[in-house]
Amino acid sequence: MKILKLPKDKLDYFASVVQSFGEVHAPVEQDGKFAFKRLARWSEARLDYDRTILPPKKYFLPPRETLFQFKPGAGYIPFAGDMEKKIVLFGVHACDVYALNILDMVFGGKYPDPYYLERRKNIAIIGVECVPDAQCFCRSMRADFVDHGFDLFFHDIGGYYLTMVGTALGDDMVLATRPLFEDVGAGDIDEYKRRSGEKRKKFQIEVEIRDLPEIFEMEYASAIWNELGEKCLSCGSCSAVCPTCYCFDVADDVQLGTRAGGRTRTWDSCLFATHALVAGGENFRKSRSSRVKFRFYHKQRGFVAEYGRPSCVGCGRCISACPVKIDVIKVLDTLREMQHVVSH
Amino acid sequence: MDLRKKILIVDDDADFTESLSAFLEAKGFHTLKARDGGEGLKIARLQRPDLIIMDVVMNERTEGFFTVQQLRRVPELQATPIFVLSSIYSTHPEFQISPDSGWLAHDEFLSKPPDMNDLLGRIRRHLAPKEATA
Repeated sequence: MKILKLPKDKLDYFASVVQSFGEVHAPVEQDGKFAFKRLARWSEARLDYDRTILPPKKYFLPPRETLFQFKPGAGYIPFAGDMEKKIVLFGVHACDVYALNILDMVFGGKYPDPYYLERRKNIAIIGVECVPDAQCFCRSMRADFVDHGFDLFFHDIGGYYLTMVGTALGDDMVLATRPLFEDVGAGDIDEYKRRSGEKRKKFQIEVEIRDLPEIFEMEYASAIWNELGEKCLSCGSCSAVCPTCYCFDVADDVQLGTRAGGRTRTWDSCLFATHALVAGGENFRKSRSSRVKFRFYHKQRGFVAEYGRPSCVGCGRCISACPVKIDVIKVLDTLREMQHVVSH
Repeated sequence: MDLRKKILIVDDDADFTESLSAFLEAKGFHTLKARDGGEGLKIARLQRPDLIIMDVVMNERTEGFFTVQQLRRVPELQATPIFVLSSIYSTHPEFQISPDSGWLAHDEFLSKPPDMNDLLGRIRRHLAPKEATA
């Protein structure tokens, strides 16, 4: 991997030139929180953000999108929408890049999703280092560092950004701005290692995940699921803000009187009451407790069985978003304590 | 009805804007003025100028670069000639990347202060009626 360094005082100029690769979107502050938005000027970018309200997945799997349209006489009409728009997502944290790598496994795997993959091709990712806060547990989920899934990744080493070049597109961006970059020396590498060590100490949460699938297997009938079911509102906020939740619903909208219309895809959530409702009226997860349990199981057990790793990246968004303060860390700790109680 | 060609000047330097405006008005153009990129974008969308003269360093030193890209994303302004007029490369020689149209989406780049006759010649060339192709 090519590694260079960019002086921090040239970052705005770098971002200006990088606009030739697409619209530059970065975290922008709104009402005390952060959201990825298209930049009108560089000073709007807040690379010191903790987390955005919605993760970058909104660009690749939009909350609502038209898949195709249909019309009598014309039949099926492909709908490109904004899939071909070139965008540069500037300032993506490692956990969110890791999440995109997880979504790549789902949407680029056995049944490739052309809509997601087209956007993934047209949206560049420039990652940036972050400082963990009280809700971050990405290190426990092994999502605090990524070696792929980005085009460039900036690591803060004081007066410079150590720049990892991840793809040919990232290399093109560097080539387009080569006079701004400098070669890396031994001192820069030492500074990177020193700061990595400092960052490790800043994590306040540590979660043991290696035996979680087994613990989940054994706690299937635990009372904790009923307790959570009593608390949970089934609002779906956790799914909306989760960078790896990917459930969606598909519906055909037909315009009255014309027989023309379109097929749309919208975000869904396994917490919604009708998520497991099937034709004939059977609902496989009618109770809130069963739906809450399903979400935890899918993240920490089911996804592991299918893809070899949990789909939770430890970004902490669900902890912030839950209106009744269901805290995934406390749930995992409680399950683990129960396990110890049983074994004694 | 005013048939003069409209030129939008986007620059936070009020003195420069006034003097450039007076020069262009004397040469038969109608000028619009904006003090920053946001105002420039708003006026451009509403008034559809025939040509835009854009400063770079305004509220921040790369504001003009971002504004040019925003202007190009307005469908009605994609073909509008944009002249970038700036002293950025003399004030920031460390920015060693020349503003080619690959990344800046502009039509002309001139250093400040410009040679006014040269500027006028370029404006007239860009605003001359296009010859019909056979």
